[in-house]
Parts: sequence; C-alpha cells; structure tokens
Amino acid sequence: MSTVAGIIRALNSGVKHLAVKRFTLRYPEQKLKFVGDGFQFDPQTGVGIAGQKGRHILFHDKCTGCQLCAIACEGIAEAIAMVKVNNTWKHNKKAIMPQIDYGKCVFCGLCVDACPFYALYMTNDYELSSFTKEALIYTPSQLAVKPKVAQDVEIKIDDRGATHG
Amino acid sequence: MTTQLPPGMQLERVDERIMTLNVGPQHPGSGHMRLIIKVDGDYIVSCDPDPGYVHRGEEKMAEYRNYIQNIPHLERPVIHDSCNILYPYCLAVEELLGIEVPERAKYIRVIASELNRCVYTLYWLSIYGIFLGHSTMFMWPMGDRELLIDLLEALSGARVTHAYFVPGGVRNDTPSNFEERCLRQVNYFEKRLKEYEDIFYQNPVLKQRTEGTGILSRMDAIRLGTTGSVLRSAGVDFDIRKKEPYDVYENLDFQSQVLKEGDSYARSRVPYLDMLESCRIIKDALKKMPKSGSVRTKLKPNPKGGNDEAYRRVESGRGALGMYVVSDNKIEPYRVKISVGSFRNMICMPYLLKGEKLGNMPAVYWSLNYWPVEADR
Amino acid sequence: MSTIAPKFRLSRFVASLMNLILWILVLFTLIGLPLVFIVLFYIELPEINGELLTPYLALTWIADPSRTLPIIKSLLQTDFFRIAAFPGFGFAALLAAATIYIERKFLAKMQLRVGPLYCGKVEGILQLMSDGLKLISKEIIIPAKADKPIFWAAPLLFVGTAAALVSLIPVAPGWVVADVDVGLLAVFAVIGFFPIITVLSSWASNSKFPFIGGIRALHQMISFEIPLILSLLGIVILTGTLNLTEIVESQQHYWWIIFMPIGAIVFFITLLAELERIPFDLPEAESEIVAGWLTEFSGMMYGLVQLGSYVKLYAFAALFTILFLGGWSGPMVWPPFPQEIITEGITMGPITMKIPGLPLLDQEMLNATLWFVIKTVGVIMVILLPRGVFPRIRIDLLLHTGWYKLIGLAFVNIFIALALLYAGVLGPGGLIQ
Repeated sequence: MSTVAGIIRALNSGVKHLAVKRFTLRYPEQKLKFVGDGFQFDPQTGVGIAGQKGRHILFHDKCTGCQLCAIACEGIAEAIAMVKVNNTWKHNKKAIMPQIDYGKCVFCGLCVDACPFYALYMTNDYELSSFTKEALIYTPSQLAVKPKVAQDVEIKIDDRGATHG
Repeated sequence: MTTQLPPGMQLERVDERIMTLNVGPQHPGSGHMRLIIKVDGDYIVSCDPDPGYVHRGEEKMAEYRNYIQNIPHLERPVIHDSCNILYPYCLAVEELLGIEVPERAKYIRVIASELNRCVYTLYWLSIYGIFLGHSTMFMWPMGDRELLIDLLEALSGARVTHAYFVPGGVRNDTPSNFEERCLRQVNYFEKRLKEYEDIFYQNPVLKQRTEGTGILSRMDAIRLGTTGSVLRSAGVDFDIRKKEPYDVYENLDFQSQVLKEGDSYARSRVPYLDMLESCRIIKDALKKMPKSGSVRTKLKPNPKGGNDEAYRRVESGRGALGMYVVSDNKIEPYRVKISVGSFRNMICMPYLLKGEKLGNMPAVYWSLNYWPVEADR
Repeated sequence: MSTIAPKFRLSRFVASLMNLILWILVLFTLIGLPLVFIVLFYIELPEINGELLTPYLALTWIADPSRTLPIIKSLLQTDFFRIAAFPGFGFAALLAAATIYIERKFLAKMQLRVGPLYCGKVEGILQLMSDGLKLISKEIIIPAKADKPIFWAAPLLFVGTAAALVSLIPVAPGWVVADVDVGLLAVFAVIGFFPIITVLSSWASNSKFPFIGGIRALHQMISFEIPLILSLLGIVILTGTLNLTEIVESQQHYWWIIFMPIGAIVFFITLLAELERIPFDLPEAESEIVAGWLTEFSGMMYGLVQLGSYVKLYAFAALFTILFLGGWSGPMVWPPFPQEIITEGITMGPITMKIPGLPLLDQEMLNATLWFVIKTVGVIMVILLPRGVFPRIRIDLLLHTGWYKLIGLAFVNIFIALALLYAGVLGPGGLIQ
C-alpha cells in the first residue's frame, strides 16, 4: 500500500511542477546583470572590492611599469608580459605596460591584488571569444578601452517559482 | 610462457564463466576513472578501481609557488567546492605565519564554505539521478545550483574556481545588497530542497533500487577508515565541524546528520540532510555576522614561514579534507600534502561491490561520493 | 561571420538554382512519371457516372466546380486513402510527430526548463522538421561484421509492424483500415512480433552493448505479454466479441473502465513495458549500456526506429481508448453542416454558386474523430508523465513484477468480470445494458 501511495505522491509532485515557471536564462537574448563595476583592489586598505572577474582594464595615466602584476602572474599562469608602448609619461619613463594573453589567463585576479598604483582593475566583460589565438592577446591600448556590457535580467523569485526576468 | 613480463603486469587465466567488464573512463556510467569489474552472470565477483587518469601533480607543483600564488593553484582539484579545499590550506598557513583572522572574515568564510558544500552536493545528486535513469533529478539540482552560484558570483566574482580565501581572511568584502539577496535565495532554495522528498527520496522505485544494497556496517566503516557522509550514514557521529571546530562553527547552531542503515539509500540521503543543515547555518551566520569590520589581515610582502609544519582539516562535501604544509624558511612551502576524502573512501569500492548485482553498480559506486579529480590531485 | 563560406555571387546562385531545376525536371520525367503510371496500374480507380476516372479525366473534371466534390468524395472512400492518410499511416505519423514535440515540451516544463525554443518562431515548433532533415543528411554507418540484410531490414520491419497495429484500430464508425472479425486476436499476434524484431536487430548488430540490450528487451517484452493478454480477457468475456468496432459500440452507455479498473491499470503498466518507456526502459538504458539495441543505428535508420516507436505509442494509446474509454463515443459537439449551403449555395457578391456533393464528411464521423483524438491525446499525456517522475527499474524487480504481481492482478480482474457476468449484472441479458 505504501508503494501505491508513494507512486501517487511522486506523480502528484510531477504534475504540480507543470505550474511552476521555467527557470532558464535565454542567453544570448537575455544577459545577466551584475552588481558593481568589476573586481577592484585598494592597496591602502589591502582589501578588494567585490565585483565580477572579467576582462582587465588598464589605466594608462596610473601605470608606472613596475612589473608587479607580471611577477604575480609568473607563478600562476604566465599570462602577463610587459611590452614597450609608444608614449612616455612622467610616471612611466621606461614606457612599458602589461599585455595580457587571455588564452592563458585564469581570471584569478591576483594581478589586481598586486598592483600598488590603482592601475589594473577587472571589468564585467566576459564575452572574449575570438577566431584566432593571436586575437586573444590584448595589447595595453586594447586593455584601456572600457567595455560596454549588456545587462538585462537577474533572478526574481515569486510564489510561482524563480525566473530570470 | 618463457618471456619476462614488464613489471606491474600479470597473466590471468581466461575463465569461461567470468566476463571482465571495463567500466572505463569513456563510459556514460562512470566518472573519469576506471573500474575493472569481473562479472559472473549478473553478480560481481571482484572490482578493481583504477584511478589516476586526472593526476596532474598538484602537490609537486605547489612547491614552486609562493603562499599566495598557491591559491588559484590548489583550488583546482575541486573547482565547484574551491572554498572548501582552500580552507585547510589557509588555516594551516595562518598557523605557520602566525596570523589572526578578523571576526567578520570568519563568518564570511563559513557562509562561503557552506554555499560551496551545497553547490557540490547538488552536482553530485544530479549525476546520481541520471545514473539511476531519473531525468528530472538530473535537471532540478542543476537548476537549483544556479541560485547558489549566483550568490557566489556576486561574492567572489567567479562562478567556479573562486580563489576567494587567502591566508589572513578573504579577498574582498561582500557587495552592497548581499545579505538580503542571500537570505531570499537561500530561503527559496530550502523550499526547492523539500520538493526533492516526494519525487526522489520517497519514490518507491528508487527505494527498491537502493535500499539494502551495498551495506556498510559501523565497525567496517571505522575499520576501513572512511570519512564524511559515508561514515555518518553508517551510524558513526563524526563531523569535523562539531568535533574539531574551526573558525566560528562553535558559535553556530546546527546538528550533524547521522543515519544508521549504512546502505546506498542512507548514503544518498545524508548529503541531502547536510544541505538542509547548511541552509540553517547560512541563515544563522548571516544573523550573527558583525556588521562591519575588516575582512583581511594585511600580510608582509613575500611572507616566509619558519622551520615549521602545520596540519589542519576541514569537513568538505566529500569528507575530511586535510592539508599538511611544511616550510623551511623560504617563500615557497617545502611540501604540501593534500589528504582527500574521496581517496580514503575509495577502499569501499572493492569491498562493497563484491557480490552485488551488476544492476546495482551505479547506485553503489556513485553513492560513495567519489570525485575522481580530487582523488587523483 | 564565418571565414569558411565563400562570398555570395548572384550569377553563381542563379546557376545553381537552374541546375537544381534541371535535375528535378529530368528525374521527374524519366523516373517519376513512369512510377506514377505503374502505381496507378495497380490501384483500383473509382467509377463516376459510368466512366472510369483516370488522372487525366480527373484533372479536366476538377476544373468544373460542379464535379469537383464528388470526385474528391469518391477518392476519400478508396482503400488507398484509408491506408495512407486517414485512419492509417498518415494520421498515425502526424499524431506521432506531435507526440514527440509535446513530450519534449511537457518534460521540459516539468523540469523547469524550456525544451526546444529556437527552431520556428513560436517556442520551437519546427524542431521536429529540423531533426528529420538532420537525420536524412547523416551518413548511415554499418558495422563491418554486421549481418547486412537483417540490419537493413530491421527498422523497416519495425515501422511496418507498428503500422500493422495502427491498421487494426477503428477511429470512427466505419473508418478502419482492416475490419477483421477477430480484431483483438490480431492485435495480440502483431504485438507478439515486436520482440522478434528487437532481438534480430540486436543480434545483427554484432556488438556487445546491443547484445545486452536485446536480451533485456526480450526478457521484458515476453514477461509482460502475458499480463497484457490476460487483462483484456475480462472485456472479451463481458462483450462476447473480439471485433474492435463492436467493443466500442458496446460502450455506448458506460465505459469499461468503470467496471474493470484493475484491468485498466494492469493494461496500462504492461503498455509502458511494451513501449520501453521509463520506468521500464532497460533495453535503452542510457547510463549503463549506451543505447541498448539501437546503438548501431545511425542516420535515417535511427529516425525510422524512433518513428516506429512513437507510432507504436499512438497505437497502444488508441487501443486503450477503444477498449476502456469508449472509443469515439461522446456527446455531439461538432456543429451540423449549415443546410442553406446545400440548398441555396454560397453567395459571394453578385455570384451565387451551388456546389453539389456537400457535405464532404458527415457530422457524425467528424464528431467521432474529435472525441477519439481527445481521448487518445489524454491517454498519451498520462503515458508521458512517468518519464519525468520515476527512475529506471532494475531487471530482477521488473521480472518479479511482470510474472508475479501483474498476472495475479489480471486474474483478479477476470474473476471480477466472471462474477459480474454470472450475477446477471452485465453482458447479454443483464441488468445494465
């Protein structure tokens, strides 16, 4: 008898769920919203600011070419290499800046933790695919561009279920 | 045969009755490891697990990275549960370097660890469902994981491989509306968990398939050295969060879940009860967390441990996860040894599968909560 | 976006279009037309007004509006239409295709996800068409040591047997492809053929996983055939006939499911086992033996096996409707054909046209078909439901259920039927007619 009761309860549970809303995120028509502007780090307090770990952004007016980000990455993924850039600044007389290879980067954010000059942050941009491996190596001028990230939906919960809406 | 065989290989007589099956790495019913099963008709005569397909030399590579660079490296054995595998490392290194962790960081660590435990257990549960042929139990946990992964993404910036814990605390503070979002989603998650009862755990077909199979008695569980949910489903009340509490677990109010039967059904049920407890722990920790405070103790650049060693262990989704860190006054550790629950529980496979029917093989094998990547490191 | 496709040139496009048209015309003239004539040589052509209706004559007469409808009506009564379109293979294949789509959406909704969504503007309606096109375009790979004649014939036999089952089912009074006096016995005979096809195709594949799947399918189908036959004996005892049309007509006042619920439940469970649906899908257990006896079929052979499987699903659901749910009986909801169109004709502006031969199909038949389809779709939904709710059963529990429990319940059902008959409640001369 308990078998029959169990079968009926299981079927009942299945039928009940026909009334619950569907949960799927219809990517790429809908894209998830993020809180904040990306992962950042404040070297004075030594604590990061919460955010999505996406593509990096390099502020040319703050980077001094100290190579600390490249040294931090050497033990992890060896994705940062310092390259020469065309201009020189007062704060960057050696005229070198990091170039990040996203084929190797693991998006851990320790390079952001290592930078003492507020020059390297991470943004919300996660759509980085390309057709060639060479296109994945972002030069310092490509890294300076602030990305436009589409953000549409987030998880909403009501009494008929949770959806991405 | 007069020729010498290479070392490690042996000759076997081909038996007419016994068929050797290779439930290998390329099989829809196994993880990334191999089971060499000898079957006599429908009964398994012997089972020989063959791990090692995912061995990457994590422990050796950890000797070439300094203490902070080891963070993204050592979280790779279990990428969903990454906070739980970094937890003993951070605790051990804090002991070595003599660092104090602020109070708010401890609470955030507990919340992140419990969220990770739920994320891993849901993944395991969905694969358990599909091994038994239950397609709804494959889809529901994967969908409900999204609720928790969304929270972890807001907290640490990445969905898996969070790289969130560091020796000294956590890397960043919680985002702006995290507490109420976490409470809302964890409440809904608890409601979703209660739906699994009717359709899975009280389903008569499932009970007929898993009850009474692969029974592990209490004495055997202790004798074989099992840990985690396998141990607790055999009637031994040993949860490291209760017996050797670390961080703020002694302030939080939860029970360790123990079941007595020791069969596959109990082994599949203990992680589910653990998840319900995790929801309570998260809600409790959110209430008791200090509202402000620093979350990270600043370390000196390039910290060096003295000639010292430290061992700490933590209850992860699969059992006791311990890290033994030895340092010899350099910026890299001299030796990092990872002791994982999956590898310890693997001894149960040849022991439990002997004499079982072949149809019970997926139910018993996956109920041992074995994660091949972690076992191979 | 793609770097592989060449750039578009209009002249090349027009040239390829012309090439395609040329080939279609050549093949049609050389092969298509002779085939049509050969086929027409064997089909019986109807006679209208004493003249034999050849295709040329039909084409000239259709231009005359007063003769169009009688021609079409006479075509509707031919055997060929019954076998190919309604209630035969065309109808079954259409319902089978709709079932596949509904199953995917139904399961997806139960599992809180979307199912097919992008193929076709509205919630992925054209997904089946794209799946069919994909299967046609794939290469059919045959294992080297396979038994080629049987391997090629197996999917065709499977679809053929499923279609044979469909041909015995009456959809509306008078609309059945094969009106056999021992219809139910013929159904049992056809059902007994399915395990043979499964074992033949699994043996012909010459590979380990199909072998295990075929043996399991054999065990499963054979052990559930006996309860299937026994559960229907109650109905045969109470109606006294094996003809399916007469069984439906005996349910005019009450349905058999009211008096024999146990038989209905046993028949439903054995139906799930014969169709290899979850929880009884051991022969195709995906996580243990890859795909069971269908492993080596690829391309359109797999498509045919799936089509046969779903046509079989429709056939069994229709059988359940006929035997237990009253077939096509139901209140008259189809609106009657407006009489003015017959007497006065259709008025469009200044022209009034009288079309003789209307109505094409009478109201009773359409009403019967409507109720039949509604009930069959309901039964199909109930068959689809356990797929999302139960895990797969193990083989020894399956055999135990089939041989002990279901045969016992079927015998209980027979005793109930006999008791009702001898108490004079039902059957000829009973209290309830």
